[in-house]
Amino acid sequence: MSKGAILIARNNGNIDYVKQSVFLAKRIQHYLEIPVSIITDSEEYLKLNFDYTVFDQIISIPYNETANTRAYNDGTLFYKTADFKNDIRHEVYNLTPYNETLLLDTDYIIANDLLSSCFNSNNDLMLFKSSEDVAKVRNEKEFDYVSDYSIEFYWATVVFFRKTQQNEIFFDLISHIYKNWKHYTRIYQIDSPLFRNDFAFSIAIHIMNGFQKGNFAQPLPGKHLYTTDRDILWNLKDDKMLFLVEKKNYLGEYTAIKTIGQNIHVMNKFSLEREIDRVNNE
Amino acid sequence: MDERLEKALEFSNYMVTLNNQKRLLKEKYYEDLLYFENGCQFTITKELITFVGTMLSSGNDANIVLIDDNDTPTSITDLAKFYEDILDVYFSASNEYNTKYNELKKKRSIEKLVDIDE
Repeated sequence: MSKGAILIARNNGNIDYVKQSVFLAKRIQHYLEIPVSIITDSEEYLKLNFDYTVFDQIISIPYNETANTRAYNDGTLFYKTADFKNDIRHEVYNLTPYNETLLLDTDYIIANDLLSSCFNSNNDLMLFKSSEDVAKVRNEKEFDYVSDYSIEFYWATVVFFRKTQQNEIFFDLISHIYKNWKHYTRIYQIDSPLFRNDFAFSIAIHIMNGFQKGNFAQPLPGKHLYTTDRDILWNLKDDKMLFLVEKKNYLGEYTAIKTIGQNIHVMNKFSLEREIDRVNNE
Repeated sequence: MDERLEKALEFSNYMVTLNNQKRLLKEKYYEDLLYFENGCQFTITKELITFVGTMLSSGNDANIVLIDDNDTPTSITDLAKFYEDILDVYFSASNEYNTKYNELKKKRSIEKLVDIDE
């Protein structure tokens, strides 16, 4: 049975997801020893600027403008508003060349081999449910439930799935939720009109479970550790990462935190790109 | 700033960093305690080790059903090997945790805690 990882890279003028994908693909190959394919609307840019041979397959999709925009922080004192192109994730089921796929955000930095256990798992669909803020100074409740009176929250940052009939229904359902997003924000009491894959996946899991808690999706091994875009990735070397994390009630001040051998979701994409450039220039 | 307050704040920052590093080390330990068998995930606990040890000492060493972290039952065909493996993972993870924890305790500055001066 074929297995591999899939990354989605759709640049927006401010954030270079292609660069992040090339960087992450090398780490996936190193730690998980699986092939990596990329879904991108910037194939030419990829081929002109990077070592595209790192990818098993390049799956080209058409370039689209989007009306979805959001603020991207770079620490606590700076932000930029940019396009937020997140409307292709539910199509990965049809786009992946693999029977067993590990779908990852390009800012999820792999630093160990824990996720390779997914491919031997009995579970056909796995996502992170429990998570931990590396900084531990912010309200983490928003990642327990979709909203105060709503359903359990699942992260769509990393998704393992096999091609099964049930998973095909699941991904088709997410497509349906995407197309009827306004309706589902009302049903599931979601305040923001911005489409979020985490919410769409959580809603789809809730529906597939018969509108109740259940085990349609199982948790990925370990915890989803994350830093937000208000933190800064300061240094990355092999499996070691040094972060400056937001200091509570002290705007512009940070606390240093070091991780070794732990996979981390680095949401500050600007600092991630600075580190990628530094590592590439070493 | 009053020197006494300055020293207290410096120590306070040190403690925040130390506690953060201890917390992340513990999370790493929990990840290291995961063991996979028959497509199932087991977090190795003292309870699991004791139960498997009890089964073995009472002569039950084959086709023992265990329930994994996701409440999925699975039949372990060779319980003696399973026991040996989980003990190995448990002690390896615990020794690593102990070593790293003791290293942390010895570091008396924020710079040393996060290895900035490495």
